[in-house]
Amino acid sequence: MDVVWFLILSAFIFCIGAAGVLTRRNPLVILLCLELMLNAGNLSLIAFARMWGDGGGQVFALIVMVIAACEVVIGLGIIVAMYRARLPIDVDEMSELRG
Amino acid sequence: MTIHLSIILFMPLAAGVIGAFLPGRSGRWLVLAATVGVLAYVIVMLADFDRGRAGLQYVTNDRWIPELGIRYQLGVDGLNLFMLALTAISWVPCTLWACFRELDRQRLFLFNLALAETAVMGAFMAQDLALFIVFFDLMLVPFYFLIGGWGTGERVRATTKFVIYTLSGSLLMLAGAVALGVLATPDGGQISFSLAVLQERGVPDGTQNWIVLLFAVAFFVKAPLFPLHGWIPETYRSTPIPVLALLSGVLSKVGVYGFLRIVLPVMPDGSLHWQELFIVIAVFSILYGSVLAFSQDNVRMVVAYSSIAQLGFITLGIFAFEQKGAQGAVLQMLNHGLVVVPLFLIIGAIAARARGSESVLELGGMAFRAPVLAALFLLATFATLAMPGSSNFVGEILILFGTFEDKLVYGLVASVGVILAAVYMIRVFQRTMHNRVGPAVESHDLGGLDLATIAPLVALIVALGVYPQFVVSRTDAATTAKIQPARQAAAAGQTAARAEAP
Amino acid sequence: MSATDYGWLILAFPVAGLLVISLGWRVLPGRLPGWIASAMIGLSFLAGIGAFVQIQDLPSDERAVVASAFTYASTGDFKVDLSILVDPLSVFMCLVVSGVSFLIHVYSVAYMTSDRGYSRYFAYLNYFVFSMLLLVLAANFVILIIGWAFVGAASYLLISFWYRRGTATHAGIKAFVMNVIGDVGLVIAAFLLLDKTGSLDYSGVFGAVDHAFSRNDTTLVIACLLILVGAFAKSAQLPLHTWLPDAMEGPTPVSALIHAATMVTAGVYLIARMYPLFEQAPTAADISAIIGTATLVFAATVALVVTDLKRVIAYSTISQIGYMVLGVSVAAYGAGLFHLMTHAFFKALLFMGAGSVISAMGGVQDLDRMGGFRKSMPFTFVAFLVGACALAGLPLFSGWFSKDEVLAFTLNRGGGYVVLGIFGYLGALLTAFYAFRMVFRVFFGDPVPEARELEGGHIAHHDPANPMSGESEDVDVGFPGEEHHIAERDWPMKVAMGVLAVLAVIGGYLQVPGVDDAVSKFLDPTFESSRFIDDAPSTAAQWVGLAMGGVVAITGVTVAFVAYRRRRGVTLELRDRFPRLHNFLLHKWYFDELYDAVFVRPAATLGKIGRTVVEADFVQGTIVGGATRIVGAGTSFARAIQTGYVRAYALLLLLGVGGLALYFLIASS
Repeated sequence: MDVVWFLILSAFIFCIGAAGVLTRRNPLVILLCLELMLNAGNLSLIAFARMWGDGGGQVFALIVMVIAACEVVIGLGIIVAMYRARLPIDVDEMSELRG
Repeated sequence: MTIHLSIILFMPLAAGVIGAFLPGRSGRWLVLAATVGVLAYVIVMLADFDRGRAGLQYVTNDRWIPELGIRYQLGVDGLNLFMLALTAISWVPCTLWACFRELDRQRLFLFNLALAETAVMGAFMAQDLALFIVFFDLMLVPFYFLIGGWGTGERVRATTKFVIYTLSGSLLMLAGAVALGVLATPDGGQISFSLAVLQERGVPDGTQNWIVLLFAVAFFVKAPLFPLHGWIPETYRSTPIPVLALLSGVLSKVGVYGFLRIVLPVMPDGSLHWQELFIVIAVFSILYGSVLAFSQDNVRMVVAYSSIAQLGFITLGIFAFEQKGAQGAVLQMLNHGLVVVPLFLIIGAIAARARGSESVLELGGMAFRAPVLAALFLLATFATLAMPGSSNFVGEILILFGTFEDKLVYGLVASVGVILAAVYMIRVFQRTMHNRVGPAVESHDLGGLDLATIAPLVALIVALGVYPQFVVSRTDAATTAKIQPARQAAAAGQTAARAEAP
Repeated sequence: MSATDYGWLILAFPVAGLLVISLGWRVLPGRLPGWIASAMIGLSFLAGIGAFVQIQDLPSDERAVVASAFTYASTGDFKVDLSILVDPLSVFMCLVVSGVSFLIHVYSVAYMTSDRGYSRYFAYLNYFVFSMLLLVLAANFVILIIGWAFVGAASYLLISFWYRRGTATHAGIKAFVMNVIGDVGLVIAAFLLLDKTGSLDYSGVFGAVDHAFSRNDTTLVIACLLILVGAFAKSAQLPLHTWLPDAMEGPTPVSALIHAATMVTAGVYLIARMYPLFEQAPTAADISAIIGTATLVFAATVALVVTDLKRVIAYSTISQIGYMVLGVSVAAYGAGLFHLMTHAFFKALLFMGAGSVISAMGGVQDLDRMGGFRKSMPFTFVAFLVGACALAGLPLFSGWFSKDEVLAFTLNRGGGYVVLGIFGYLGALLTAFYAFRMVFRVFFGDPVPEARELEGGHIAHHDPANPMSGESEDVDVGFPGEEHHIAERDWPMKVAMGVLAVLAVIGGYLQVPGVDDAVSKFLDPTFESSRFIDDAPSTAAQWVGLAMGGVVAITGVTVAFVAYRRRRGVTLELRDRFPRLHNFLLHKWYFDELYDAVFVRPAATLGKIGRTVVEADFVQGTIVGGATRIVGAGTSFARAIQTGYVRAYALLLLLGVGGLALYFLIASS
């Protein structure tokens, strides 16, 4: 199969993820969408790895998955903490870093 | 190749670091011992120094960052010999002061003092432009903490201003230094920041002009000269006394020293290009500093503004491009440091006798119960106003003679500053020590610690007044060599002008 | 020992005294500091005699010996040694200075006894004598300037000796600043001379002056005028005289020593020392002569009306120095310096007498409140009378010989100098009048209460008050307080005044026209290259001059006698008849007010403008403020971007990445 199809799919998933990050206000959903974007990246990495026939891309994909796991741990931890503190689960309400 | 300079350089810092980890109050002895050790080392160096030689002595020259052509290069010649001596001498009483006063976080204070000594020594010793800049900026760090941490009054505002001023100056200088190093490198050559190499290579005339300007801004801020002295009032008001003594007595000299060490030899044409402007700035600083010193009520500020005038004199001597003037400037750098340090310590003693007040409106009549203090203050006052018989007079007369040589009018205007100095210094002396007892005054004579910090410095002032040739004979050769390129450029300019004229 | 060895000794003794007293002030008991100081000056005087003897042994054309201790400072063409010049002029000055100083030290031992600053006083006094001797012994311009400034500093310290008095400290700063102006003049003059002659040594400069400068060369005239600025500032000549009357705030012996006998005559010494320059620049010498004459008349007129006893003598000093300046400016070097010497004797004597009177008055200095002290203080009366006679130039007293010799020389120069000479005689008339105005008002007439008390054996006490401002004193510091010391009772004062009185009478006989010529003959080797060395007036002309001077003096004294003894009140009538003139003189021709308006106030205003406008608006406003505003504008833009919305950041990120990707796409294709 031509690598182009994988790339098209990957781009498609990436856009869905990006759109989700930009439009949704619930941090949980934003986290999900981020995962989508990361996995879109993974998809194209693996596709290229297959195309070239070496393992480099797959190694990168593995690293990305590890990082994604860390990210989810931290992100979920923050969200749980927000629940505990009875803060609104809405990223637009959390703009205290405004300059 | 010797290791002596490196020992002097890092002895205080090492003592500061170790002292910070020693238990209880034993660390202070270590720091004090290190400053005294540096002083002893410098005294031996003074005795050992070969006075006839213009070149560097005790050179250390090692690779540091070879990729950028930066070398760890230290050396001493007549130009910085007495600057090192001044640093070593000034740090002892100030450290002593800090060791035996009740200070909170004393170990940290002493660590900062020690770091500052290393940085200042490094700036004076460095023979590599990049190394100079490293130490020049390193000086800022301990002083930032010393003023911010132990200052009084509006210390946050003061430190902010101080840092912004000096840092912007430093950044401009950094840009200038990088440009200098790059532009001086011939095609295919290895880049180098060594001052000797830079002087040999040189940079084109037009480029020199703006590089000199970048350096000048940094040095004028440090000095400070009009109109870049805006950080002075707040900083001087909030800085603790011993730190202020060092700031005004020693740090201010790094800037003017930079002119003689870097700007004049490496970029003679650029220096010549701005000569007139810098002389005007110097003369204006003399008058402006004097007039403002005359109208201040706070004793500290009088000395602060008088420093602007004094640094103006030094700059004037440097940019007269004349042997006597430059020699006078080098001598005056030492002299000014030696009078300002005891002056500020005396002001500290005065404030301690007036419930912290430093305003002449509340002071007066201290001499009666503090005759020793009054006598020391009197000697320091006379030296500050460059009374003949003091070494300051020799410095000032050399500067004036050097200026008269080519720039008679500027010299005449500058001599008004001499008269004004007499007015404002005597005024301060009188209004603190003489007249009726001021409302805030509870006078008593100097204690042992004050006496130990102030009296040796005053004795040194007197000794140098009797025998200034001690300094002049050692600085003469190097100073003459350093201004030689600029003099040649000036002479070439005059010949060219004469050739054009007919 | 050679002459220069004695020269170093002359300097060494006062330094030793200064060190001993200033380091040992806590342990030296009673009057000991005073005696140590006096002994040191006495030894210095003996060393001066040693130098005198040694130098007389040398052949007359080798009587200028230079000795150098070490290199003081040397770079380029600026070469200065710490060196002294021993020649007849410097030895003469050393003898006068140390001799008179010794007597005044002895006087002070008693006079200052009850003062709390006794040791400090003698330390300063020894420092002064050292400085003055350094000044006269200097062999180059830099050492001269050092001595010059040192005497100024000593003068400052002693004027404001009673430093709790506002008037004293004010007078001190005034004197100091005037002296610094003079120093700067000398520094610039020294540069001009170095530039043209390539040397700072007297010998180098004087040797080169004839070929380095043409006659009346502009540079040389300017250099000489600058030297005159120095000389006039020190010698209180117009227009730099205003500090001297105020300097009377110091203790009376100080006024006698520094502000009458020695320091203020340094200007005269300087002009005499620089004679090769002035003879090559006669314009400058003429200006100097004119100013000297103007000063002597001006100061004499003021002395007519001032009522403060010490200030009368102060103005008299200014006036007498005018004679000396006139003398050395018209090349009457011997005569001018002779007058310097006799003046030192009689003026010191007058001040000592005045000090005694002021002590008896309990600190009051106002002539209007004095009178009738003749019986209660016979010794002081005689001494003061002798001094006044010498000052007035009554025949056979020392002032008669010296002053009229100066005037005879002036007349002898002919031409315009005759006018100066006539003014000199006018001044002499006024001098005789005011000298005896003091005598008649202080010692004659009805005894005031203080005088009566003294006759009864008590010395008057008042609450200590500042004689100038009238405010009560801060007694902590100690003014001649519980114990007053008047000459009648304390033998050191009596000895000092007695010796001076004798000198004031016989000093003149050193130089009687046609009989002997000791001073001029001794000084001649110094002035041997002078163009006017053979220009002295004939003996007959000198006697004519003396006769004229005698007549003028007797006239003046007679007028004073009439005005203050026979027809008392005539002076008051005159005052009421010409109130404007009286006011004008009483305000000392308004010089103080003029300087205040022209220099002091503008300087203060300038300082204020500097502080408020330049510092606040320009430096802090424009430069500091401008920088802050630029930084501020930059940061407010950066702040606007930081919305705090995660989505906004994400969008920006995306846009950035997209933009980059687009750029690379376009760039690669």
